[in-house]
Amino acid sequence: MHKGVIENLINELTRLPGIGRKTAQRLAFFIMAMPKEEAISIAEAIRELKERARFCRECFSITEDDLCSICSDPKRDHTRICVVEEPSNLIVIERTGIYRGLYHVLLGALSPVDGITPESLKIRELIERVKRGNISEVIIATNPNTKGEATAQYISEQLKPMGVRITRIAYGLPIGGDIEFADEVTLTKALEGRREL
Amino acid sequence: MLTRTEGIVLKNQKHGEADLIVTYLTPDRGIIKAFAKSPHKIKSRFGSSLEPLTHSRISLFGKEQSIPKITQSDIINTFYRLRESYDDLINISRLIRVMLSIIPEDTPNKRLFNFFLGILNLMDSSTGDQRHILYLIALIRLLAMTGYAPRLNKCGRCGKKGINFYPGAGTILCDGCAGGQEIKGPPVRVNGDIINFYSHSIEWPVQKLTRLRPRKELLSTLSSIMERHLSQNLGIRP
Repeated sequence: MHKGVIENLINELTRLPGIGRKTAQRLAFFIMAMPKEEAISIAEAIRELKERARFCRECFSITEDDLCSICSDPKRDHTRICVVEEPSNLIVIERTGIYRGLYHVLLGALSPVDGITPESLKIRELIERVKRGNISEVIIATNPNTKGEATAQYISEQLKPMGVRITRIAYGLPIGGDIEFADEVTLTKALEGRREL
Repeated sequence: MLTRTEGIVLKNQKHGEADLIVTYLTPDRGIIKAFAKSPHKIKSRFGSSLEPLTHSRISLFGKEQSIPKITQSDIINTFYRLRESYDDLINISRLIRVMLSIIPEDTPNKRLFNFFLGILNLMDSSTGDQRHILYLIALIRLLAMTGYAPRLNKCGRCGKKGINFYPGAGTILCDGCAGGQEIKGPPVRVNGDIINFYSHSIEWPVQKLTRLRPRKELLSTLSSIMERHLSQNLGIRP
């Protein structure tokens, strides 16, 4: 009986990203040793998340209400939209504290080789938002890889005729990095995007 | 066991939180999958070397039956201009999808590797319109190399002359062979120019392929033939 419930929890935990069997086993025994209330509180938090969290009607980030806290905040700059691939990207940009505009989460990136087309993403909704609202700038902050670039280029082609300013986040070398270890595409992009000091 | 080879990245797929499964086309092992640990982290030594179409020298470590780990990847050519053009990426991705659907993994094919590398080099040094033609040529050639090309020079059943290509049958059929048989969809009329372009695409050396300059109508008819052949006979949808 005991072996069964522990085994069950281990199996369930291995579904999580980055959790292998050994880590799952360690976590399962840790949860077993926890006070009952704490363990139940973790389970409750997961249940609540699945029951209450949903996508914001406007930007498709995760929220408990119809509109997320960013879309419903009157103090934010409602003329700028920053386009990201996933809700987790939004959290990282928010952490910088320098961007005060709105977001649009695409819930993925274009990948023609995997058959992920514009229709599978929230691109049509972005175009509708730009058409509807008083948007002056769309900042495309998709990942700097092939899928992210293809997505950025497609969105830019769709939005250009609307006369809105479209910008792309800068490319270049990471802070704390070393030019010696940078690959040629990164260096080419860093040189192309150089700025006056 | 450590092995060294070169490869062209066909696709990459996220695995877990930050790892990647990279699919390569290699000369000595054909299509293989390899695993890269945390390549998307800012300080990863892989940089952009695991992005699709990158041609690189790779070192792989692992047992024969399991997915090897990429321990080193040095770029030979990035082909990043092809990746950055949305239209080119769509076309090349289609080529890769066809390749992945019809070619089994771990089957050495040096000819295929050299052909694909040659086409990427040609496309990289060509203009937009030429690239579109090269894509069609590459598709025809890939199917011919693997035995999946449609037959356009004579009737696929009796060998007689014919002018109607039946996508459902994957071949030209003469009137005698086409009559009275159930063939999905209407035929496409094929003329001598189409047949010439088609056979040159298969037979000419890769370096000479940019000399082929078909008319727009020819390009559009042949593209439609190839697309219908892919979707009706090989189940590869656009």
